[in-house]
Amino acid sequence: MKNTNSQKIRLGLFVIIGTTLFVLAVYLIGQKQNMFQNTFTISAYFQNVNGLQKGNNVRYSGINIGTVKNIVMTNDSTIKVDMNIEEGIIAHIKKNAIATIGSDGLVGNMIVNIVPGKGTDEVIADGDIIASYSKIGADDILSTLSVSSENAAILTSDLIKITDAMIKGKGTLAVLLNDTIMAKELRQSVTNLKVASRDASNTISEINQIITSLKTNDNTVLGMLLNDSVSGQNLKVIVSNLEASSKQIQNVIANIDTTIVDFNSGDGAYNYIVNDTTLVNSLQSTLKNINEGTDKFNQNMEALKHNFLIRGYFRKLEKQKEKEERKKQQ
Amino acid sequence: MEIGELTYFTIRFFKEVFRRPYEFKEFLRQCYSIGNRSLLLVGITGFIIGLVLTLQTRPTLMEFGAVSWMPSMVGISIVREIGPMITALVCAGKIGSGIGAELGSMRVTEQIDAMEVSGTNPFKYLVVTRVMATTLMIPLLVIFGDAIALYGSYLVEHLKGDVSFALYFNQVFDSLEFGDIVPATVKSFFFGLAIGLVGCFKGYYCKKGTAGVGIAANSAVVFTSLLLFIIDFIAVFVADIFYDL
Repeated sequence: MKNTNSQKIRLGLFVIIGTTLFVLAVYLIGQKQNMFQNTFTISAYFQNVNGLQKGNNVRYSGINIGTVKNIVMTNDSTIKVDMNIEEGIIAHIKKNAIATIGSDGLVGNMIVNIVPGKGTDEVIADGDIIASYSKIGADDILSTLSVSSENAAILTSDLIKITDAMIKGKGTLAVLLNDTIMAKELRQSVTNLKVASRDASNTISEINQIITSLKTNDNTVLGMLLNDSVSGQNLKVIVSNLEASSKQIQNVIANIDTTIVDFNSGDGAYNYIVNDTTLVNSLQSTLKNINEGTDKFNQNMEALKHNFLIRGYFRKLEKQKEKEERKKQQ
Repeated sequence: MEIGELTYFTIRFFKEVFRRPYEFKEFLRQCYSIGNRSLLLVGITGFIIGLVLTLQTRPTLMEFGAVSWMPSMVGISIVREIGPMITALVCAGKIGSGIGAELGSMRVTEQIDAMEVSGTNPFKYLVVTRVMATTLMIPLLVIFGDAIALYGSYLVEHLKGDVSFALYFNQVFDSLEFGDIVPATVKSFFFGLAIGLVGCFKGYYCKKGTAGVGIAANSAVVFTSLLLFIIDFIAVFVADIFYDL
């Protein structure tokens, strides 16, 4: 059996396509691992890498930008993680960026997440070391969970005690739960409250209506006050007049005050009358003298009545008086 | 005893392979008959394997809500193990038995003896060309088989999960590493070598009579299949040492 040209071509195609597929696969895998790109290396120190391995992805704000190049233990508690980062991304990573180790999905591979730092800083350079932040690991979560479960156990045992006490009817809560009368009363109270609130609501709505009508009706005082601009102007004038009047009243009161002060302190007649005790004394003696004078005058007059010169006049007066009385009686 | 003879046969092959004259035309003819003529079989097998693997795994992954892991899982299984192994087994059946039967019938009909008499080195002409062809063609067939199997898996994912071509193959190559593809390819060379060597050995030393031809073809397939699994087992250990899988 001889080789024909078509067989050779087919064989050639077979080999070429097969090799191309292999090279393509190698290229794609290499590209994912940044083997055919210019890269630069940055590092970060961690206390726990949570199972991170060489070749794990490095992400910056969620984009794959490189792979983990090396993981070295530098001392008993510090691990240095070197990362190959695509050169094209260098302009976007600042020196204050922070590296954290996370998981790609719930059960996925570990990855290094680089998150941008706050504020502005210089662009990162080859060989730089960035800050890191160690997230809480699964072990820490489990230990926290164990503490929580212990607390939950204590809580449940306490709850059992409380429920026991409640079943036995001890305490206020038990009374609340078991007392049927109180329940009825509470229900009644709630019903009353409902009614009261409904009434209150009605009242409020009525008050609202009144207020609205007061506001809108120009015939009422409030409506007029709120809506009538002319009345408003008048009121303003009245108020200003009142202000002026009050000022004047104030002035008058001030004047009265000064007058009273003058009255009290000055040398006028009033002050002389009110405050001078000598005058009072002299007036008293004068009145006494007058009284004595009048007594003596009365005595003199009585003596004159008995005088023979004028006694006839007084007898005439008496007779005339008797005549008038008799006429009255008749 | 047979293992000893096979070892001797292998050493003889490595001695002869670098010696002149090179039977290049016969080598190309064997390449064509082994590579091109097995492509359809390997392609169909690979396609079905990709399809079935995805269909069978999908419900389980759906239970865990991890269908998005399908490309990674199928990609790694096909490239690392299923692709090379299935291709090698199919080739062991088709090529190994073919070589065993062909050389066996030549031995029975004394054509090999005639070649020796006529001054042609039958080992060089018949064995070296065939073993070289299987060694080089099986890895290529494995690559084709992998590609077609992955395409079959993609078709299922596309139809059932509306996954785009770019997303599927992005995820496949995202999960693949050199630790997956290099050991698998190196392993394929050894698979090819084993298929060729065992097929040729069984045929070359075929017992007289027509029954001997059948036995040669049959035992070539059985022995090659067993050897393939042993090589695979060793390859996994060696790959683990180099790539820390």
